Amino acid sequence: MDEFTITEKKQDGLVIICLNGFLDAHTSNILEKKFEELLSLKSFKIVVNFSGLTYISSAGLGVFMAYIETMRNNSGDIKLCNMSDKIFNIFDMLGFPVLFSITKEENECISKFTETV
Amino acid sequence: MNVFLNLRKLYNTLKKIDKIVISSSTSNLHLVREFIEKKGDDLKINTNTLNQILVSVDEACTNIIKHNYNYNENNTIEVETETKDKKFIVTLIYKGEDFDTTKKSSPDMKEYFAKFKVGGLGIPLMKKSMDSIEFTHTQPDINSLTLIKVI
Repeated sequence: MDEFTITEKKQDGLVIICLNGFLDAHTSNILEKKFEELLSLKSFKIVVNFSGLTYISSAGLGVFMAYIETMRNNSGDIKLCNMSDKIFNIFDMLGFPVLFSITKEENECISKFTETV
Repeated sequence: MNVFLNLRKLYNTLKKIDKIVISSSTSNLHLVREFIEKKGDDLKINTNTLNQILVSVDEACTNIIKHNYNYNENNTIEVETETKDKKFIVTLIYKGEDFDTTKKSSPDMKEYFAKFKVGGLGIPLMKKSMDSIEFTHTQPDINSLTLIKVI
């Protein structure tokens, strides 16, 4: 299995990126490049599906912090879904649910975007 | 030298210490996690506790690679595990000056989120995940960071 990969799909004017593998100090630059690419394409409404992610460290958390302000300043957001308990606990330990919308299901996450459009 | 190595090996065997040595590259972080995970599974440490240990050790190694070795891969980190008095103890041994990065104060998360800050979360995550962390420096340039978790 690859260390970390991202697959992407589009739905209802949103970009949904699905993370697979582990997100640590070695692989976080791959996610960073993906966000840079999304910005260059002016895609600001992003759903991140964590169902294939097995591990995250602070390097991974840092990538979401680095881009959320820009997305929101452009009438977008980064919304997160389908986290395992292991992944959610890391986000929760530092209080990330205060800043980020985290839902159980992808559909729920997409609905949250349409509610705010 | 051989006598010293044999004595060290005997000491580790008696104290049931297991060890891996990695070169100081972030590409090796997953090897450290796999080593710790295997130890945790052997000891039947519960999943939640083991995940906290994993992230703490990962953050500590990342911190050493980044700040202590400046991403120079020609260095090493020794990762030792030991269980004692219902505690799982991970010791990281590495070269460096007498500087304990874990002494750095953790950010105020309310302010952190309000100002959309980035970085500086490794040490808070490391501290929140473990019961205690001890740093010692031995002359001339050997540091050890001990991460302790009650299991």
